[in-house]
Amino acid sequence: MTRPESNPQLQQLLQHPALWRGRSIAPQATVATGYAALDAVLPGGGWPRLGLIEILTAQQGLGELQLWLPALAQLTTQPEARWCAFIDPPFELFAPAFVMAGVQLDRLLVIREGQSLWAMEQALRSGACDIALTWLSRVSSPALRRLALATEQGRAPGVVFRPAMAEHESSPAALRVALAAVPGGVRLRIIKSRGVSRDHVDVSWAP
Amino acid sequence: MSRVQRTAELFTALQAPLPQSLPPRLPPAPPTPQLRRARHAELWAAVQWPPGQFATDPPAQLAQQALLAQRYTPRVSLEPPDALLLELRGSVRLFGGLQPLLAQLQALFAATAVVALAPTPLAALGFARAGKSCCLTDATRLVSRLSPLPLRCLRWPEASLQRLAAVGVSTIGEALRLPRAGFAQRFGADLLQDLDQLVGRCAHPRVTFVATERFSSRCEPSFELTDTARVLHTIAPQLQQLEQFLLQRQRGITALLLRLIHRRQPPTQCVLRLAAPEHRAARIAVLLQSKLQQVVLAEPVRRCELRSGPLLACAADSTQLWQAGEHGGGALTQMPAFLESLRARLGSAAVQGLCMAAGHRPELLSCATEPVWQSASARRVATAVRDTSLPWPAGRRPLWLLPDPRQLPLAVDGSGHPLWRQLPLQLLAGPERLETGWWDGADICRDYYVAADGQGARLWIFRERDAYRRWFLHGYFG
Repeated sequence: MTRPESNPQLQQLLQHPALWRGRSIAPQATVATGYAALDAVLPGGGWPRLGLIEILTAQQGLGELQLWLPALAQLTTQPEARWCAFIDPPFELFAPAFVMAGVQLDRLLVIREGQSLWAMEQALRSGACDIALTWLSRVSSPALRRLALATEQGRAPGVVFRPAMAEHESSPAALRVALAAVPGGVRLRIIKSRGVSRDHVDVSWAP
Repeated sequence: MSRVQRTAELFTALQAPLPQSLPPRLPPAPPTPQLRRARHAELWAAVQWPPGQFATDPPAQLAQQALLAQRYTPRVSLEPPDALLLELRGSVRLFGGLQPLLAQLQALFAATAVVALAPTPLAALGFARAGKSCCLTDATRLVSRLSPLPLRCLRWPEASLQRLAAVGVSTIGEALRLPRAGFAQRFGADLLQDLDQLVGRCAHPRVTFVATERFSSRCEPSFELTDTARVLHTIAPQLQQLEQFLLQRQRGITALLLRLIHRRQPPTQCVLRLAAPEHRAARIAVLLQSKLQQVVLAEPVRRCELRSGPLLACAADSTQLWQAGEHGGGALTQMPAFLESLRARLGSAAVQGLCMAAGHRPELLSCATEPVWQSASARRVATAVRDTSLPWPAGRRPLWLLPDPRQLPLAVDGSGHPLWRQLPLQLLAGPERLETGWWDGADICRDYYVAADGQGARLWIFRERDAYRRWFLHGYFG
C-alpha cells in the first residue's frame, strides 16, 4: 500500500477542501504513546483517553506491556494523577523496571482475586483510575460492551490484553491492535480504529 | 463597730497592695487521725514489669495490660512507663477474700511482673520496684516495712538521690527520720509530699484509667432474618446511631465488626475495613451491603451486633460546587472510596500497591505494599525527591518476575544452551553478574542474560555459578 505522505501528487490531492478523510473526525483526547512511529499512525497522535483498547498477542512476553510504559509514566507523574490499576496480571509486576521507565509506583494498584470483569468495571466506572489494564483469556462480547460503557462513565481508558485468536470475534473496542515480534521490536497491526484503515507499524525498543 | 465602718475597713484591706513575693511554700500540715483512718481503708496493688518489657509502643502495651487488670477492679491507674496500680479494697468481698483475689492477680501477672500489696499506692510501687512481692494490709506496720528499702525505689531525680547519698541517706527509713521543714527546704516540697504519700500522711489521688471509647450496639429483631438484605435493613437504625455517635465526637472509624448470631451455629462475622476514617451511615451501609452479598447464612439470624474499631480524628470535607469528576472537580476524592469498595468485595489482601526495597537480589527488590493514598500536594514533594539514578543498565530489567525461578532444560546437542518450549534460546545480552546476599544466608551468585525465543518473546534467564551450572527462567520482558 502506498502511503499518502510519500507520494507528492497524492499529497496535493489530499489538500482539496472537498475531500474528507476518516481520521479528520472530531478530535479525541489522547495520551502520547512515547513511540513516534506509533503516534503518527494512531488517530489524535496517541492512545485514546476514552474507550476500550484491545491488545491481541499470540503469547505473553512480546512487549505488550513495554508498549504502555511511556504512557504509564506520563499518566502517573502528572500532578492530579489517579490510580493505574492492574487487574489480575499473569505474573508478578517487577517494580525496578517500572521505576526505570519513570513510572511512579505510588499510583499503581494491583488487584487479584479472580473477579476481574467486576473489578475492571468498577475501576473504569468509579472515576478513580487514570487507566485500568486487565488480562482476559475468554470474554463474551456483552461483557466487553459493559466495559466499553463503563469507560465512558468514568472517563478512563480500559486496556484488555487478549489472545490472538480473539481477532475474529466482534468487539466494541475503540482500538484493536495485534502484536507480533520483529527483531529488536514489535510490529503492531491495527485491526480496528476510528479513522484508520488497516495498517501496521513497527516499534523498536530503545537499546 | 457599726456596719458602715466594717465595710469601709474591709474595702481598704482589699485595696492594700499585694506582697511582692509570695511566702515560701510550706510543707503540708500533719493530717488529722480521722483522715488517716479513712484513707487506710484503701488497699493498693502495684504491678511492676521489668525495664524493657514493653519495647514496642509502651503506652499501648501498658493500656492493654490495664484492660486485663480492669476485670478485678474499676480503679486501675497507669504508672508509665511500666507499672500499674490497682485499688483492691472494693473488690475483696466480690472475689471471696483477699487471698483468692491475690492468687488470681498472681496467676495473671506474676509470670512477667512483680505484684505487691500495700495500703498506699506509692508504698505498693516501692515494694514492687524493690522486687518484694509482699502483701501488707496492716497500715501500722507500713513504716517499719518500708524503712529498709533503698530510696532508689521511689525513682526520684538522680540529682536529689546523689545529694541525699552525700549526707548519708540511702534508705526510706533514713529519709523519713530527717526533719520535715529542713527536708522540704533542701530537697524540695515535692519530695516531701512523696514521702507523706508514701506512708499515708496525706492523700494520693490517682487518675483512673479509662479504656478507649468504641461504639457497640446490638439489636434483636422480632423475627429471625433469613437473608442478608433483611439484615442490612434491620441494622439501618443502628448505623444511624453510629453516625450520630461519631458526629457528636467528630470522629470516624476505619474498622467495623458485624456479628450475626444464630440459634445453633457459631456467629457469622463480617469485618469492614475502610481506607480513611468514615462517619457517614449511608457510605458504611453501601460497603456493608457489598460485604454481606458474599456472606452465606448457615442459619437464620437471631441477633445482630455492631462493634466499631477505635475512633479516629475525622475531618469533614467541604462540599464542592462541581460534582465529582465534572470539570475536574473533586476527581481525587473518589480514590480512597474506590479502594474501599474493592476491598469490601474482594478482601483487603486482594488490593495491593507496589514498592521497591533496597538491594540487588531480584526476588527481594519488588514487594507488595498497602496502597497509600497521598493527596496531590503531599505527592509533589515525593516526585521532586525521586531518585532516578538506578544502578542497572537500561532495558535490562523485566516487567514480569516469576516468584520462583523455573529451571530450564539443556539442549542435547552439547552446545550448553538452555531450551524453552523444546527450542534453544538465543542470548541477546549479558552476562550481568549478580553476586550478593552473603551476609544473611540467602546469597545468590548468578549470571543474568536477556534471551529471545523463536516467537520473539524476550526472557530474563540466569545461570547459577555453582558446580551444577543450571539455567533458570526468572522473568519476562512483557
